[in-house]
Amino acid sequence: MTAVRFYIPLFLIVAFWQMAAMVGMVDVELLPSPLAIGNGLAHLATAGDLMLHVGVSVYRQMAGLILAAIIGVSLGIGMAHVAWVRDVFEPIVRLTYPLPKSALIPLLILWFGIGHNSKIFAVFLGCLLPVVVSSFNGTRGVNTQLVWSARSLGTRGIRLLWKIYFQAALPEILSGLRIALALSYTLLVSSEFLIARAGLGFLIQSLGEAGDYPGMFAGILIVALIGFTADRLYVKWMNWMLRWQEQA
Amino acid sequence: MAGTGVAAAPRQTGSLWSRLPGFIRRSVSIVVLLLTWEGVAQAGWVDPFLLPGLSDVLRRGYEEVGSAGLVYLTGLTLYRTLFAFVLASIIGVSIGVAMSVSKTTRWFCDPLVSFMFPIPKIALLPIFVLWFGVFDVSKITMTTVACIVPIISATHLGTRNIDKYLIWSARALGTSQRKMFWKIVVPAALPAILTGLQIAFPITLIVSIVCEMLTGGQGLGGYMIYAARFGESDKVFLGIFFTALIGYVLIEGFAWLRRRLLVWHTETSGAV
Amino acid sequence: MAYIEIEGVSKVYQADTPDPIIACDRVDLDIERDSIVTIVGPSGCGKSTLLHMIGGFITPSSGEIRFGGEQIVEPGPDRGVVFQHFALFPWMTVRGNVEYGLAEKRMPKAQRREVSQHYIDMVKLTGFEDSYPNRLSGGMQQRVALARMLACDPDTLLMDEPFGALDAQTRMIMQEELREICRASKKTVLFVTHDVREAVFLGERVVVMTARPGRIKAVLDIDLADDAPRLAVDEKADEIWDILRDEVIKAVVPGASYSERAAG
Repeated sequence: MTAVRFYIPLFLIVAFWQMAAMVGMVDVELLPSPLAIGNGLAHLATAGDLMLHVGVSVYRQMAGLILAAIIGVSLGIGMAHVAWVRDVFEPIVRLTYPLPKSALIPLLILWFGIGHNSKIFAVFLGCLLPVVVSSFNGTRGVNTQLVWSARSLGTRGIRLLWKIYFQAALPEILSGLRIALALSYTLLVSSEFLIARAGLGFLIQSLGEAGDYPGMFAGILIVALIGFTADRLYVKWMNWMLRWQEQA
Repeated sequence: MAGTGVAAAPRQTGSLWSRLPGFIRRSVSIVVLLLTWEGVAQAGWVDPFLLPGLSDVLRRGYEEVGSAGLVYLTGLTLYRTLFAFVLASIIGVSIGVAMSVSKTTRWFCDPLVSFMFPIPKIALLPIFVLWFGVFDVSKITMTTVACIVPIISATHLGTRNIDKYLIWSARALGTSQRKMFWKIVVPAALPAILTGLQIAFPITLIVSIVCEMLTGGQGLGGYMIYAARFGESDKVFLGIFFTALIGYVLIEGFAWLRRRLLVWHTETSGAV
Repeated sequence: MAYIEIEGVSKVYQADTPDPIIACDRVDLDIERDSIVTIVGPSGCGKSTLLHMIGGFITPSSGEIRFGGEQIVEPGPDRGVVFQHFALFPWMTVRGNVEYGLAEKRMPKAQRREVSQHYIDMVKLTGFEDSYPNRLSGGMQQRVALARMLACDPDTLLMDEPFGALDAQTRMIMQEELREICRASKKTVLFVTHDVREAVFLGERVVVMTARPGRIKAVLDIDLADDAPRLAVDEKADEIWDILRDEVIKAVVPGASYSERAAG
């Protein structure tokens, strides 16, 4: 399958890495060989609580993301349609746009402590803005001639909103969500690195502190694979949703 | 986001609101928020540990700036951020260009870039800390790696999709294949390259701050996390203000730079 | 020997697949020096492809194109081009664009200034020398493209539907101005268009191409007086349209011809 062929250079790098480790070109303390990492991965999987950590992380990330998606899309569309909503929220959006949301993590830790909520809110706050902005832009950018055609064919009110505006804005909304998806993992990992009792970020940190570097690398690999797979699946879903679009 | 005509007539609740002048309508929410914040804090409805008053934060800010400590920390954060950004720009643009020019480079780098794109690169930080320790090197390396991917991507796309008629016109006017690249391809790709840089820029700041939080050392990130751990909430808020301030200055600065460099470009207007 | 000899030129895309696309099919055409030849045809008939091959931007799949007996291999300043969507260098001012070819020829700065100013004046864009293309209307941009081409003083002018992106009114003005310029200077001009009236108005000879695969269907001489009224142009254009109509229908409704449609 051509997808596998595309990634051949990656396999070559892994192969080269393995050989370099075996020949002694790299310090295997600092850079474990791929086999050692695989070993670490197997060890983690069988030692018991890997799934717990994965579950915790995914739960937090999903919760924050879904919250951001629902509120963000509603807010963005509302801002595009209703003047007073725009007047109230646009200054706030403008003001908070340049703030790197990761700077809020210490505050969230102060407020919500070590448990789930600080992470969920970190993800939520970080992902909210890209979703709001892309929903706003997507809705605003709807071709007026599309809307007028629909109205002259009898569509009004809420139906107009749903059938025309939402569908026409969908490409941009979905691409904003894709960015939010990637961001959600970044914020999740950042907050779990900083202060947590469970989760993949916490796992990676503790493995590192314990000196189990193959395990640590394995944990990072898991995070990378989750992020990668999520993006791939999302793109498939997005393309299906937008299947009516012309291929650029 | 400038107001534009929207196809749906904006439904307004009561004409009183719509009769207020624009700048008042747009600052009301901020003012209300700030006043509520101060009011709630003064009234003691919320534990001052969690929510210091606006006045407390400002007072603390006055102290800290006076002692020059916070300004120094801000400078450090800025230095790391900009250093990493410049490094990422130089390396990233070079790789992107190389990918457009050399088929082998493209074959090799395309899957790498594709793979790196969606993964949370901050997850690599423990590796860099393992290799380089907790000081500047690991922070700057992490930041560079985190923001380089969009730069490579945008540069590659920008240099590949040049309008063929531009190239053909240049050839008909006597440009040699050798000179074509620097005279035509690079200027034509500049808008796309700058967009890539603009996307990478905020990422640099975000990652920089997180690295500081995680690896300590002086800087705004470290300041905020220590304040949080010691329960000094007014310092935490102050840190957030300062971070927002740098963010704002840098983003506006970049936007200004882009306008100057691309005065000839037909910019699409309207979006945030 | 004609100035430009096009002999048995074909262009085939996707030749090794079961469905090759034959853009041009064994085209034979001779073009005399200093003549103005317009090429009309339906969409997809390969007229632009033919022009691009004459310019040296694409190589023919078979056949030869010779200028003054020599086969051409590459684009060059002896064959100037103007494209439909202007292709101006957006990061250069009007003057920058017009002087571009001159700079490539290593003309000294003062002389470049003189030459570029002459052509900017000729296309009636005096005063806009320091404007960027994004500030100019479509008609103005196309004039810059014209000036840029003419400044290099090429022997042959190749124009690929240059007025296609302009509105009908601007188009008519540009046609008149172009005709003036062509008649004032001695150049060989090849002009591709889908607009029959435009072809008759501008051309001394009109080449009509068939629908894909593109072949030459007819070559007609236009002997209208220099100041012939538009009406005379229209009458001649109608003649040519009768030849062209079938091909257009074939292109728009694949597999049908006018007579078939009229009958059934």
